[in-house]
Amino acid sequence: MKRRELIRAGVLAGAAAALRPPLDMAQSATQSSALTPAQSGVDASKDLAAPGWKPLFLDEHQNETLIVLSYLMIPATDTPGAKEALVNRYIDLVLAAETRETQRTFLNSLGYLDGESIRRFKAAFRYLSREDQDDLLHALAYPRNASGWTGERDAMPDSGHAHFQALKQRIMTAYYSSQIGERELGWDGAFAHGNFEGCDHPEENHK
Amino acid sequence: MSRNYTAQGTLQQIYDVVVVGSGATGGWAAKQLAEAGLKVALLEAGRAVTPKEFTEHMPTYKLKYRNHSPEVVRTRPIQKQCYACMEYNYEWFVNDLENPYSTPPGKPFTWQRLRVLGGRSLVWGRQSYRLSDNDFKAASRDGYGDDWPLTYAELAPYYDIVEQYVGISGAAEGNEMLPDGRFLPPMKMSCGEVLLRERVKTKFGHTVTIGRAAILTQNHNGRLACHYCGPCERGCSTFSYFSSPFTTVKDALSSGNCTLITNAVVSHVNMDNEANKARGVTYVDRLTRQLEEVRGKAVILCAQALESTRILLNSSTREYPNGLANSSGALGRYLMDHVVGAGASGHLPDFKTLPDANQPQRPNGIYIPRFRNTPSSNKHSQFIRGYGFQGGAGAEFNFSAEGYGASLKKAVKEGVYGISLGAFGESLARWDNYCEIDPDLKDAWGIPALRICMIHGDNEAALMEDAGATAAEMLETAGAKDIRAQAGVEVPGMAIHELGTARMGSDPKKSVLNAFNQAHDVKNVFVMDGASFVSSACQNPTLTMMAVTVRACAHLIDRFRRSEI
Repeated sequence: MKRRELIRAGVLAGAAAALRPPLDMAQSATQSSALTPAQSGVDASKDLAAPGWKPLFLDEHQNETLIVLSYLMIPATDTPGAKEALVNRYIDLVLAAETRETQRTFLNSLGYLDGESIRRFKAAFRYLSREDQDDLLHALAYPRNASGWTGERDAMPDSGHAHFQALKQRIMTAYYSSQIGERELGWDGAFAHGNFEGCDHPEENHK
Repeated sequence: MSRNYTAQGTLQQIYDVVVVGSGATGGWAAKQLAEAGLKVALLEAGRAVTPKEFTEHMPTYKLKYRNHSPEVVRTRPIQKQCYACMEYNYEWFVNDLENPYSTPPGKPFTWQRLRVLGGRSLVWGRQSYRLSDNDFKAASRDGYGDDWPLTYAELAPYYDIVEQYVGISGAAEGNEMLPDGRFLPPMKMSCGEVLLRERVKTKFGHTVTIGRAAILTQNHNGRLACHYCGPCERGCSTFSYFSSPFTTVKDALSSGNCTLITNAVVSHVNMDNEANKARGVTYVDRLTRQLEEVRGKAVILCAQALESTRILLNSSTREYPNGLANSSGALGRYLMDHVVGAGASGHLPDFKTLPDANQPQRPNGIYIPRFRNTPSSNKHSQFIRGYGFQGGAGAEFNFSAEGYGASLKKAVKEGVYGISLGAFGESLARWDNYCEIDPDLKDAWGIPALRICMIHGDNEAALMEDAGATAAEMLETAGAKDIRAQAGVEVPGMAIHELGTARMGSDPKKSVLNAFNQAHDVKNVFVMDGASFVSSACQNPTLTMMAVTVRACAHLIDRFRRSEI
C-alpha cells in the first residue's frame, strides 16, 4: 500500500501529520491511539453497585465471610463502613484477575480464619456470635513475640497474624480507595486547595 | 543491519536535521534548530498526546481496578516497577511484550521507558540539579575514570538558558557541590523538614534544601503556576511542570520549520559510505509496519541513552562493523544508572499536626547535596564519590495502624508525622557495564533488541551502606522515633537515570563523541541525550542533559552557518 492510500484510509495519521500543518498534527485527536480507559474518561465508580451483581471469583460462602469480616475490620461508625463501601465486591473483582497463586494465597487466609473458628468454636466464622468473632480476631490481630520469661530468642512462626494482616490489607485497600473511603478521610472532592504554605515557625519551635 | 532493510517509501524532502526522539533533549534540539531557521524532521516512536488524556484530577475510585489493573501486570511487567506507571496512564509506557530486551543470568536490569510524544518528560520526577566541576573533573580529583571534555564554566550559560525557559523552582544555597541556578521562588518546606534542616546544619554542617524542581511557582512563559494537586505523572492541565510536548516541541512546530512524524520507530541510520556521512534514518511505521526513510544533512539521536546506542549498534556498515561511529569500541560501554536502595524512615512523635486530605499536595521534596569526598571534607576510607538524599516530612494517614474495628478507623485518621530520606549515589563508569545487540531477539517491528549487562559494584554498595547509616543518624538528630534504615542496592535501572554507552571524550580512540556530542567518526551524526555522559555524578541528570543539548545545538547551528555540515 502506498503512503497516499494509507493516508486516505486514515490509518497512518501519525506519519500523515508530516504532510499537514504541524500544529494541527501535534494536537490532532484523530490519531490512531491507544488510551487507557481512564485517559478515555471512563468512570467505573458505579460498576460495583450494579443491580444483579454476582461474584466473579468468590463462592457464596467466601463472599459472605468476606462481608462479615470486612465489616468487623472497618465497621460503620458515624461514617459508613466496609460493607457500605462494597469492599467484598472490589476484592472479588481484583482477585478474579489475579494469578492463581495470589488467588490461592487469599483463599488460604480466608480458610485459615474458618479453620481457627471451627477449631475453637465448632462453627465457621460467619456463623459465630459477634463476641466469638471478636475473640478470634483479637487473638490474631497483634503479633506474638517470644516469651520474655524463658529467654527464648526466636518467635514461633506467627501464621495467624500473617493471615490476619493479609486480609486486613486487602480490606483496607478496598475501603480507602472507594468513594466512601475518600470521604472517610475527609476529602472534599476538590483537587486544588491553594498554595503549599509550609512552615513559618521560629527556629526550634516547629509543630 | 542496513542490508536487512529496503526502504519502500521515501519522504521527498531533504531536511537539514533529523532529530530522533521528542523527549527532554529531542524537544530542545528541535526547538533550537528550527527556531534558528533549519528545517527539522522530529521523529517520535509513539503517538501524539493531548491534554484531553490527562488524568491528574481523576480520583482513584473511578478506576475499574483502582490502580490494580491486570492489564498493567499483563502487558507491562517491567514498566509497572516504575512508580509512575499506573492504571491511569500505562499506555504511555512501552508494552513489554512488544519491546523485549535481554539480560545475562544473575544480572537483572529494569528498563523503564515511554513511547509517546514527549517520552519520559511526561512522567519524570522533575528534580533539576546542576553538576559542578567536582563532577566534570572528578577523575582528576580522585584518579578514577575520565574527566568530561567540558567544564562547568563552558556549560553554565546553557544551564541558564534551560532554567530560564523551563522554570526551575528552588533556593540558592552557595553549596560547593551544587551550583545555584536561575531559580523561580522555592516551594516551602514543612515543619518537620525545616527542623531537619536546622538540626543537620548544626550537627553535621550539611545543607538541607527544598528540591529544585521543574515545576512553576509562578506563571512563566505562558504556563500557569502549580496548583498543588499532586500527581504530575498523570499529566498537568495547567502545564505547570515541564514536559516537552507543550513547551519545546510546541515552539519547534510553531516556528514553521519543524515537521513532526509520530509512530516512527527508528531502526537505523543510513550512511553514504563513500562520503562517510549519514544521509538520514530508516523507521518502521508503528501502525502499518511500513519502512520509511527520512533524509537529512545531519542526524541527532535523542532517543534515550540505551535506545540511541541501540540505533547506532543496529547501523553497522562494512566500514563500521561493530556499530556506527564505533571505531573506539566504546559504543555500548560505560553504562551507568544511579545506585538507589538506601535511606531511612521514621516518625516525629512531637509533631501533632493531623493529616488532611484537603492539604495542597506539594509535588516536590527536600534535597541534601553530596557531602562525602568534597573539597572541604576528608577523603572517605571506604568509597570514592558520593550520594545525595531526597526525602520529605509531613503528616500522613496511618494505613499501618494496628488492630481493627472502630479504633482502627480512628487511628488511620489520627495519622503519624512521617519523615524519610532516600539516597541517589554515583554509579561509576565501567567498561564491563554495557549493552549490545542480542542476535536472537527482535522487537515487534523486527528491529534487533538489546542485551543489557550491568551490575553495581563494591563502590556503589559501600555508598549505600554509608547512606543508610547516615540517613538514620540524620533522622535521629531531628528527634525521629521508630527509625528503619535500609542499606541495600536496588537492581540497576531502578533510578531510571540510564547514562553513558556513547560517551563524550577528547580522545577518539577512547570515546564515541566529542565535546559537542558529535561522533568522532561520522561528523554529521550526533547523540544528544544521556548516552553522552562521561560520569553519572549523583544529581538527577535531565537538567544537564538539556543543557548539554542546547550547547551542542548552538555548535551545530554555527557549523551550518559556516556550511561545514
